[in-house]
Amino acid sequence: MNQDISGGLDTTRCPEIVKILSLGKRSGKLSLSNGSQSGNIFFRDGEIIHAQCGALQGAKAVYELAVWTSGEYRFSVDEMPDAVTVELSVDEILSEATNRIRQMDRVISLIPSSTIVYAFDPEIKEKEIVLKSIQWKILSQIDGKKTIADIAQNTGLGVSDTMKVFYTLVKSGLLHEAYPSEGESPVDMVELPETPFMNALKDDLTRAIGPVAPFIIRETAQEMGLDLLADDLEQKAALIETISNRIPSETMSLQFLDTMTDWINTEEI
Amino acid sequence: MKGTIKDILKISGVHGYVLARDRTMQIKLPSKHRFAGAKKQIKLLYDDLMQTPKRPGNTMEIFFDDLVLTVFTNGMTMLMVLSSTRVNLALVRMTGKLVIANLVKEKF
Repeated sequence: MNQDISGGLDTTRCPEIVKILSLGKRSGKLSLSNGSQSGNIFFRDGEIIHAQCGALQGAKAVYELAVWTSGEYRFSVDEMPDAVTVELSVDEILSEATNRIRQMDRVISLIPSSTIVYAFDPEIKEKEIVLKSIQWKILSQIDGKKTIADIAQNTGLGVSDTMKVFYTLVKSGLLHEAYPSEGESPVDMVELPETPFMNALKDDLTRAIGPVAPFIIRETAQEMGLDLLADDLEQKAALIETISNRIPSETMSLQFLDTMTDWINTEEI
Repeated sequence: MKGTIKDILKISGVHGYVLARDRTMQIKLPSKHRFAGAKKQIKLLYDDLMQTPKRPGNTMEIFFDDLVLTVFTNGMTMLMVLSSTRVNLALVRMTGKLVIANLVKEKF
């Protein structure tokens, strides 16, 4: 029984591996990785003596590793730590880990990933909100750009604990999901083909209705089943006309039609 | 773009137009066009359209086998563009909307 063991956390979660190693009274290092995160749990004669995950150490690190549902693990025999940070029995740790997994299942139903970015919700329903210091610590980090994982790293809290705090804050209506890249809305993320027609259309429509223009162009083309790269004047005219109908201001709609009709006429010549 | 009636006539496939407001009607069509002598029928259509001022839209297309009538209304003004079925209809609609908007502004 001296060979290393390894596998995927999607089929065998950390508490199960810990239980097996504990029953086998194994000594060595259990290494776990999940994307960019990693951690280790050290065993001596089946008892956990040390654990580390990011900035977390001791039992807290085990609880953090226990909730991972993806990634890989490897047990290497006879690797020993420099320090002893865990004094609880495996049974005590596993009992708490089970509670945490149950809590995380609820958290994940609302916050499915630590890569989500949240922003403050300007519309607060409650008249008065009382915050715990840990909630304030998290709130002070929220800028509509940092992911939950970033905030966990900055605050030194575990990802799962940070997600739990987010769960409470989202539930209380203080936060809403922001869009991941630098506070951009999905509208800003719409990419249109770089053609003279598309550029003219985007510029003129942006003048009429603002930054939502690329989104409207993409949506209208999809609804009409048009190919934005097609070099067909009839399609282009149909797209312009349909889009002009979506401009709320009649004056702006006519201005848009005016410049784009010019554009079409120039193309036709 | 000026948005004048001449812009309509520049579109390939457009035969001509009819402009109506109150009791005034101006027909610009080739003399042998089958709608050139249809003033009475066009007047009936105009009267009918003007009796229902709260229509959901102000652009209508009437398709014949070899001809399309694109009708634009704005208040008491009606612009009817007569074209072949192979015309760029979206371009006709775009230009027509601009033209009728300008006509109403100018109160022809």
